[in-house]
Amino acid sequence: MSGKSRDKHKSINDGKKIGDKDTGLFRLKKMIKKEFRLLGTDKMNLLIALVIPPAVIFLFAFMINQAGETPPIPCVVISSDSNSFVNPNSYVETTWDNYTFAYLDAVDNHTESLDLLAFYNTSEEVYAMEIAREQLLSGEISIIIVLNVEFSEMIIGGMPAFIESVPDSSDIMNIQTNLNAVADSIAAFTDLNNLTPQFVYNTYEEFSIPSEYSFQYNYNITLTLSFIIFGISMVLTILVVVQEKPIPRLLLSPAKREEILLSKYITYMMILAFQVTTIMVVCLMTGLYCRGSLIQLWIALYTVGMTGLSLGIFVSTLSNTKTEANQLFFALFIVIVLLSGIFIPVDAMPLPLQIFAYILPLSHGDPMIRGIVTKGKGFFGFDFLCLMALVAALILITFLIMKRKRYEV
Amino acid sequence: MATKNSELSSSEIKISVKHLNVGFPLGEKQIIKDVSFDVKKGEINGFLGISGAGKTTIIRVLTCQIPKKNWEGEVTVAKISPEKKSNHRELLSKIGYVPQLENLNLYYDLTPMVNVEIFASNYGIDKDIAVKKAQDLLSILDVPEDTWYNKTRSLSGGEKKRLSFAIGMINDPDILFLDEPTTGVDAAKRYDVLSYLKKINRNTGTTMMIITHDLEAAHICDTVAILRAGKLLEYGDPKGLISSLPSQGQIARLTIEDLDRNKINKVRDFAPVKKVMRSGNEILEVFMEDFDINLSKLVEYCIHNDIKIISLSRDEATFRRYFQIRIKEEEEREQRFEQGGGH
Repeated sequence: MSGKSRDKHKSINDGKKIGDKDTGLFRLKKMIKKEFRLLGTDKMNLLIALVIPPAVIFLFAFMINQAGETPPIPCVVISSDSNSFVNPNSYVETTWDNYTFAYLDAVDNHTESLDLLAFYNTSEEVYAMEIAREQLLSGEISIIIVLNVEFSEMIIGGMPAFIESVPDSSDIMNIQTNLNAVADSIAAFTDLNNLTPQFVYNTYEEFSIPSEYSFQYNYNITLTLSFIIFGISMVLTILVVVQEKPIPRLLLSPAKREEILLSKYITYMMILAFQVTTIMVVCLMTGLYCRGSLIQLWIALYTVGMTGLSLGIFVSTLSNTKTEANQLFFALFIVIVLLSGIFIPVDAMPLPLQIFAYILPLSHGDPMIRGIVTKGKGFFGFDFLCLMALVAALILITFLIMKRKRYEV
Repeated sequence: MATKNSELSSSEIKISVKHLNVGFPLGEKQIIKDVSFDVKKGEINGFLGISGAGKTTIIRVLTCQIPKKNWEGEVTVAKISPEKKSNHRELLSKIGYVPQLENLNLYYDLTPMVNVEIFASNYGIDKDIAVKKAQDLLSILDVPEDTWYNKTRSLSGGEKKRLSFAIGMINDPDILFLDEPTTGVDAAKRYDVLSYLKKINRNTGTTMMIITHDLEAAHICDTVAILRAGKLLEYGDPKGLISSLPSQGQIARLTIEDLDRNKINKVRDFAPVKKVMRSGNEILEVFMEDFDINLSKLVEYCIHNDIKIISLSRDEATFRRYFQIRIKEEEEREQRFEQGGGH
């Protein structure tokens, strides 16, 4: 060691000669600098931490501010007004139905919140109500408006007329919106025809659950089931690849990358089957009323769980560190929930977001599960096919990433 | 006869490397430059060099971790070339690998036995056979039996290291590659770790290739390679390399009062002296021709030149000393080369 460097070494070891810099503040500053250096070693993580939160806020603002008008609610009107009406006082028989057509005009041309898809006159179509309910069940319409037998007669006679509406109550979020639209049509009708707004307005909730079941519990649990299944399967798998440090060492044995990945899929698919079964059992024990088949519900929940599982393993394979995987999970989960249609109906979102929202799993998982539980529909349909396509795409991409990922011991 | 001999010797070679060049990309950023060597069956071979010498790159080529586009040369490991991807599984089934860090080789939350089972299953070894094999290996390596079924996390650092060796040996490999096996082991235990490797080698006859910057490892090596900046400087058995030093590695160690540059140069001027190295503040190590004859003459020469010798001892050069000399020579040669404008 040269004399100069020996002196320097001595001065560092001798606390008194360091002087002002030997303070807690100095050390703290150095430590903060060190932390920034460490952060800089994982640039991807830093990028996610800095970019994702404002991006999520931006997305939310874009969704809310650019949201268009809520699309008109598809409906059908059934009228029994043309049927014969016999006045019990005078025994005069009338078949007046002029106000039916005035109401149809109000719905079709003067109520922006309703989209009249069909009109059924019960004097011509005996099974009008059955046809309309089928349409409601299939999701083609969201509300049935019924004008009763003496609709025109009552108005002409200056008495309150009867209007009934049957909204799709499987979609709890939109029941009130549907009913408000009917109220809009009645307001337009009275304005256009100079009528006193005297109407008896009855509503019936189609697909409502039997009285012995809790309304509150069933509608809430139906809404959250897909979120629960998706969330837990994603959380469970988010670290399965990234945190397994011996993977590079395993690859120095005859083990193949595909085998390692496949073993994870199989394991977690088995766990998912157990999770879905457990959740279903607990739901049934705690008062879930399922109008559809339980097997169909199991398949639907499993499919939603598979999307979470595939997305979890995808993120885990893509990420280089555990922190990166956790950050990506958080960001993705927020975006998926945000665009799932809970806050704003998917159809009301700006078009680019609509396209994006329809790629996301919960946009399909939620209606599929609600359909089975509340309406008794089957799992097989457009939503199921979309979810299966998403699962297949995610698995394929994950295998490709794994194949190309650089592992070195 | 010559043919028979060459067949015999080639059958004994477990690793053959000829004119290996590695670059990222190849031909531009050369990490390994024209390296050639053979490792024979049953040998312990040590690849020694400072960080960045290219040791790990060589082992990565041999263990199929670097794609062919990044290297050229003739390489066979257990008679299989890592050149073709289709050979990789067969090659990997014939080797064992012990990584530098235990957490890359062990599942800490599982027991040692389960760890062994997991790795054994990759080679298609049944649980019963794996357990029997693990018991044998863990016994050889003195991993206490009462720890075999506890969580690996609870093992000491040395026990984890030995468990790692056992996992590397679970498939009875033709060749066991070890990456810095003494890293993370305190100085007192390093010798133990190396002894266990020698023990495995003796008991099983497994060929081993160790890459390390720990020069103590040379003690257990049958052959060593010294690597610097991607070039192979020396290859041979450690004793042979030491004896290639002037005076067959014999050193005169002089403690000189007020040792300075002038006194060192004076000693260097003594005709039989071949090499002089300062070791510590006042100690000078001297290599010279005809050591026994010239030692007393050196003392007289020092007295004559007012160089006060406080003490004098004779010593044999260690491999560490050989390594330092060889690296320094290479540095000086490169310096001369650069000063001469590359000519």
